[in-house]
Formats: sequence, structure tokens, C-alpha cells
Amino acid sequence: MDPLAELKQTFFQECEELLGALEQKLQALDEGSTDPEDVNAAFRAIHSIKGGAGAFGCTELVAFAHVFEASLDHLRSGRVAIEDAPFSLFLRCSDAVADLVSAARNDEPALARPDLLEALERVGQAPKPAAAAPAAAPGPAKTEPAKTEAAKPAAARSAPAAADDAPPGIAALGNLLAMVEAKTGVTPARVDDGWDDEPAAVASAPADKPGRDLCLRISPESDLFRRVIEPRVVLGSLPAEDIVSVVCDLSQVPPLETLDVTDCHMRFVVTLRTELSVEDIYSRFDFTLAAEEFEIETLSPAAANDDAVSTEEAPARPEAEVSANVAADLSAILARLGPAPTSASEPDILPAAAPVAAPVQAVAEVAPAPSRAPAARAPANDAAAARQRQAVSVRVDLDRIDKLMNLVGEIVITQSMLVECVRSLPYDVHAKTAEGILTLSRQTRELQDHVMAVRAQPVKAVFQRMPRLVRELAQTLGKEVKLVLEGENTEVDKTIIEELADPLTHMIRNSMDHGLETPEDRIAAGKNPEGTIKLVAEHRAGRIVISVTDDGRGIGRDKLLAKAKSRGLVGQDEKLAPEEIDQLIFAAGLSTAEVISDVSGRGVGMDVVRRNVESLGGRISVDSEPGRGCKFTLALPLTLAVLEGMVIRCGDDRYVIPIASVIETQHLASTPIEHLTFGQEVLRWRGEVTPLHRLGAVMGSTGTPNENIIIIAETERGDNVGIAVDEIVGQQQVVVKSLEGNYGTVNGASAATILGDGLVALILDVDSMLRLAASSGRPSVPALKMAG
Amino acid sequence: MTLQLGEKHFSSAQPESAVRRIVTFKVGDRTFGIDVGMVREIKGWQATTPLPHAAPHVRGVLNLRGVILAVYDLRTSIGLGLTDATATHVIVVVDIEDKVAGLLVDSVSDIVDVPVSAVRPAPDLERDEHGLIEGLVLLDTDIVALLDLAAVIRDGGTEGAMAKAARAA
Repeated sequence: MDPLAELKQTFFQECEELLGALEQKLQALDEGSTDPEDVNAAFRAIHSIKGGAGAFGCTELVAFAHVFEASLDHLRSGRVAIEDAPFSLFLRCSDAVADLVSAARNDEPALARPDLLEALERVGQAPKPAAAAPAAAPGPAKTEPAKTEAAKPAAARSAPAAADDAPPGIAALGNLLAMVEAKTGVTPARVDDGWDDEPAAVASAPADKPGRDLCLRISPESDLFRRVIEPRVVLGSLPAEDIVSVVCDLSQVPPLETLDVTDCHMRFVVTLRTELSVEDIYSRFDFTLAAEEFEIETLSPAAANDDAVSTEEAPARPEAEVSANVAADLSAILARLGPAPTSASEPDILPAAAPVAAPVQAVAEVAPAPSRAPAARAPANDAAAARQRQAVSVRVDLDRIDKLMNLVGEIVITQSMLVECVRSLPYDVHAKTAEGILTLSRQTRELQDHVMAVRAQPVKAVFQRMPRLVRELAQTLGKEVKLVLEGENTEVDKTIIEELADPLTHMIRNSMDHGLETPEDRIAAGKNPEGTIKLVAEHRAGRIVISVTDDGRGIGRDKLLAKAKSRGLVGQDEKLAPEEIDQLIFAAGLSTAEVISDVSGRGVGMDVVRRNVESLGGRISVDSEPGRGCKFTLALPLTLAVLEGMVIRCGDDRYVIPIASVIETQHLASTPIEHLTFGQEVLRWRGEVTPLHRLGAVMGSTGTPNENIIIIAETERGDNVGIAVDEIVGQQQVVVKSLEGNYGTVNGASAATILGDGLVALILDVDSMLRLAASSGRPSVPALKMAG
Repeated sequence: MTLQLGEKHFSSAQPESAVRRIVTFKVGDRTFGIDVGMVREIKGWQATTPLPHAAPHVRGVLNLRGVILAVYDLRTSIGLGLTDATATHVIVVVDIEDKVAGLLVDSVSDIVDVPVSAVRPAPDLERDEHGLIEGLVLLDTDIVALLDLAAVIRDGGTEGAMAKAARAA
């Protein structure tokens, strides 16, 4: 794969994660969270998507994401209060972004969403005065017109997006160059006129504007552009009306012939007159720049109009009117920069008792650049390291993990082979070797557990697709639904994760379509018009248990039973317990929805779910309470890669039967066996007539079978069956190997495994084996209840 | 290495001088061949695990370094009955249609370069109802029958065998 395509692939993978995060945060906000960090996270997610999309020329995606980002920015900046924001619109937009991403991924034409775009544009255009006023007016000196101007930048910023439709990366670079040209060689006072997206009214900060003067030195790492950040974004995160001057230092730009346009060589010096605290500025840059990429200096008011480059000496001039407020900020800076160089100055920073000159002195010691820089950088590096610690994760190709898993499987096999070899050694050699082998076994088991843990993924991967499904269905069905997710971080093997999506989708559809009532009906029933669906995952007894609970009307038993009777699934006069009726929902070809909708109702839902779940070695059940709701419970093994099995022998062949299928074992000799017609044998077991099959005959084993043992096994339907085998060899964990990969399906077996001696053994599938037995001319007898 | 060389020869620009590099092996006194590029490895016979109700030429499955693959008895495929496999018998492991399969033969004889032009279509008189033979190559001593591997392993799955059994019943 060429590097670009590879990068693009990575981008799409990241998009999935980002979309998940975006949706999750928006959902949280929609549910009443007012945490600004949620807004920031959502903003960052969409911003990263936009950035990457720009780099790969996904124009539709960029355009949409841009507008989306702009409207989220209104929330971030406080122009729109979080409580007033239209999160349902945002959620639909996040769905639209997901669609655009998948369209871009599959090179399909993207669906334009003018309706959503328009709605997004409206966000923040007419901000409610009550919400906008406190947030948009940082200073008491601000006048009314300034406020309306403040709302503009984001709206104005969306205009260039439309012009971005040529390759956006290039366009951005062009903009930047134009900006830089405009900036350099212009006097600082005029500099702001060059900014195309800042209101002219605030171009030059009034000389008497309140606030402190700060000097910001921004020296981005050369990979700035590759992080999909442009200087405009960096500078745009400062309040435009506070910027006094921006000077771009191009001295680092190499000659044209050696210039790599993807490297950033620009340095900026920004002078600000602002009421923002240093902390605020840190947090504004938090998302675009690493801590070591910028420095903040406090200037004395007098220095503000000087050339920004010459401001280095400025802090050295002590000023009489440094307020306690500044002192507080300084202590904040110092706290950030770590212990002050001289411990003597430390107590002096306390704002209350501060002799006015002391804080300034402290700044003079810390701030003046180059000589002090290393001292100031060290803590900054600490901060960067801390940030790195938070995200120590590696992206690994699933293929590689699969290979690792295969290899571990091999080691497990080799190791059990060794165990068998060692047994045949003379005692004195054996004793020595056995110890080593024992250690090896333990380590191998541990290794296997760890590799399994690497493969394990939180069910979140599947759960996070569900909110969208619920939203869309709610719209189609005209129902109000709240989806509650619990235990999203429950981990299962990825083999199971892949198999979860379908059953969950079906179960949720079923609950929404059949379970939950319309808002009117709910009100009539005295319920909250908004229905609730709860999706819960948890570990229980070595399995993952997922339940879907709704508070709807429950299963309509009369209707279900009538339908089952009319289909002949239940005898006309048969009496069924309520729970038995509920289980009919899993019967094939039953659907109680009066109107066949495109959501569900073709009667292929729950029986397919049950079959799929059971083929994975899982179980599904339903509990229903009329009028109160319905709960589907799904229990699945934690992995499909290994299985606890009983190794049995029949003739010359060995088989593995999953322990999950085995109920008990008994001696053949002590079991009364009766013969029915056609050679069908039955045995009495716990008062029931249970069919008996001889494994050797069913599976066509080689050698002469001599059955001694009966294994009572359970079928998917819960019936019991006896399987006669020669011998139980042992019980062990086996690595499941597919037979389909290089061969095809094998009747009677679900897969194969490799035993300690390197030979292959088939893993029996009881149901498939019974079908095989039936098709070889042996009629199987259904379990009959014995009288008495 | 050799395998790749063979493939390069095969796809070379001059078709008239193009050669096919062929692995030849024996079943009884008959010689068969397949393109060297399809051969993954050649290993001695090892016991297989029989599959229930598989077609007679499916000898069962074996473990090749963690990969489970099916072994097909070429002798049975060409109608000469089951091979009484011993340690001297050979399994030719081949790549075919994304699958790995083993071909049980008596012995591997040689690797020969054959001009593409020397491959003749299989004559009709050959009783080859399954279409196992893709072409014939005349060597000094032998006639090499080039196998269509897909046809050899066809009907291998239980489905095919079951369908046959059903038809027979």
C-alpha cells in the first residue's frame, strides 16, 4: 500500500474513534451534562476529523465539519449557553458526519445535507441576549456594539470554508502565505487589518483598554502542519479584540530549494492586552500547541506599544501599579513553571502580602528568554510527559494479534506435547524435567491469558452504534425513546464483539417496534411519554451477559399464542404457562406486529437472533411483565478462540465435546437401554426417554468402537441426548481452529483443534451431529415425558 | 526463491519462449505435474484425522504448523483406490483458490521447465469425467499429465459427498 493510502486508512480508523467520542459527548450533553469539557471534547473530535479530511481532500466532509465545528465553537466560547444548545440537531449532524466519512472511505458520492447545514448556521446567529451577554462581554468597559461584533468571528470564519473547495490543505497554505506577507513589514498597529476573519472594529486595541499586556512567543514544532493545525487556528483561539500586534518571524525559513512546505518554520510574537489570566491562555492553546511550543511573558503597560521583539527587557522595569490581580497570575505562572529559582522569593508571591516589586522580580528571573529557557522548559517537558502518560496506547493491526494468538496456540500445543513426552521418560530424568515443564505450563497459560487480554475489546465498540439506531428508529416510529447504556467497558474477545452487533440490533429494534408504545399510549397508561431502553453488559460466571430492557407494554401473550396456534406451532387445546408463551417469541415465523413495518415485523427477527446466538455457544432468554416491559438477556462465551472441552475417544479417533454441552457422564453398562424400531436406541435418564447415539457410527470413526461411557449432552433446544463413546481421555482447554478456512463445513463438527500429539481432533457440535445422525437414516426420537 | 523465478518466467513478455516450471510426481507408474508456483512445500506422510462422511478421496485433516488443512488422495481421485500410506509417501502442500490443501502422492520426481507451446490439451480418450487433467506434456521418458487442482479438490467438502449420497439413496 502506498504511504498516502496507508495514512488515509489510519485517518478513517481514527475517524471511527473520533465519531464515537463525538457522539458520546453530545449524548452526555443532550442528557443534561453542562460540563464544558464535554463540549471541548466534542469540538476537538470534529476539528480533528475536519483537519484530516482536509488533508485527504474530502471536500464535502470538510465543508460540513467546518460548519458543525463553528456552531460547536459557539458553545465553547459561551456565545450559546450549553443549556440552550440544540443537541438533538448536533447528534443528527454527527450521524451525517459518520455518513460522510463512510462515503469518503468508500469513494462514494456524499449526500449533501443542506437542511442540517442551514440549521447549524442558525445556531448562534441569534443568540439569546441573556445567554450571550455575560459570556461575550469579558470586560466592564465593553460597549454594546462590541458584543455583537464578538459573535461574528465564527460566522465569518465559515465563509472561507466555502472557498476551501479546492484542495483544502493547499488553500490553507495559500491563505497563510498571504497572511504572512501581509504581516511582515507592516507596523504592529496596522497588522490586524490583514486578518480576513476578524472584525475591523477591534483591529487595534484601544490604548485605554483595560487589562494587562502579555507577550506570547509561539514557536511551533516543525510538524505543526502535519498535526493539521494552522497558525490561523492557533492565533484564532485568542480573543481577536485583545490582540495588539502579531509579528511573524520568518528567519527560520530555509531557502526555497531546501524548503519542505509541510514543515512549519514560522515563529510568532503576539502582544496582547487582555483580561484573560495566563491560565486561560494556556487552556486556549491546550488543544493546538504543546506546552513547550509557547511562552507567555507579562509586559508592563508601558511596554505594550514598543516593538514586540524588544520586549524582552520590559519585565525588568519595575512598575508601581502592579495589581494584586497580576500577582495572583504570576503565582499561577510560577506554579506552572515549578519551584522558583530562589526559594527566598517564594513567600513574596502571595498576593495579599506581596510587596509590589517582588512579583515582577520573579518574572524577570523566569521570563527573559534564551538564557533562562532551559530552566523554564524542564517543567514544561514534565507536562508533556504527563500528557503522554495519559495516552500510552499503540495501534496494532488485528492481523498481528491474530498471528500472536495463533502462535500462542501453537506453544500451548507444543507444551502439552512435551508433557506427554516427559511422561515416558525414566523416573530420575522425569522428575527433573517435570519441574521445568510445570513452570512452562504456568507461563504459557499466563501468556495465553495476556494475549487474550490484548484481543479483548470493550463492548463499547458495539454499544456506541446503538444510540444512532435508536434515534433513527424513534424518528421513523414516532416514539420517544431514551437509551441508557451501562457496562460499556466490559471486555470481551474480539471474536465475540464482531458477533454482537446483529443480535443487539435485532433486539433493540424489537423492543422499539413491539415493546415501546407511542407517546399517546404511554400517557394513557400513566407512564412517562418517553420510553426507556436499557442496554447493560456485565461479566457473569465466565460469560458476558447483555440485557436489553424496555419499559413498554411487554409481550402480548394472547396475541402471540393465538398466532402460534394459527400457525400450528402450538396445538389448539394446549395450555401453556405464561413463561412458555413468552418463549414463543423465538419461534420461527412469528411476528405480532399488526402492521409490517420496514423496521421489523417480517417474523425473521428473534428466531434468527436465537439461532445465531446459539451457534456461538450462547443463550438468549426473555422475561416479560405485561404492561411493565420486557427484558431480553443474552449470554455469550467470552471468546470463540479457546474452549473448555472434554476429549473423548471412539475407535481410533479422538473428539472434543464442549464442556458447555455436557450435562453428565455415566457408564453404559449400568444404564438400561431399549431398542426402538430402525435400530434407534433410547435410554432412561431422569425419568425421560432420551435418544442414544453411538458416536462411532454417527461420525464414521475408524477402528472398532467399544462403547463404555455415555455422555448426556444438551442440544440448543434444551433437549437431552445420550452419546455413547469408548473413553473419556481428559478435559482441557483447546484452541479452536476453523475447518472452513482450508476445507469447508464438516457435518457433526463446529471446528477442530490440535491435541498434544500434534494430531487434529474435531470439536463436536451436538446439534449438527444429531442432524447428521438423522440424515444417515436413523430416525431420532424426540424426548417424551414418561408418565409418572 | 525458485518459486518466484518460476512465476517470473511464466509471466515473461515473450510467450513463444515462455516456459512453465513444473513439479512432477508419481502415483503408481503415472506421472503428474503442477506449476511450481502452486507448491508451498513437500512433506512426508503424517497421519490424518478422518472427516465424517467425506468423499473417499478426502483422507482427512492434518496440522501443518497450526494450520489445519485437508489431504486429498490423488490415487483415489484417478480411480485407482486408496493409497496405503507409509512413511515413504509424500504430501504435496499446494495453494489453491485461497486455500491450502495437501495432495497425497507416491513420490515427487523432478522439477522440469517446459515451453508453454509444448503443453497439449488433454485428449478426449482419457476417461476424465471430472476434468482433472488440464493438459499433457511429452517428456523423453514420460507423459506428464498436468492437473487442474481445483478439480482435484472439488467435491471434497462434506456437502458434495452428502449430495452424492443423497442422489445414490
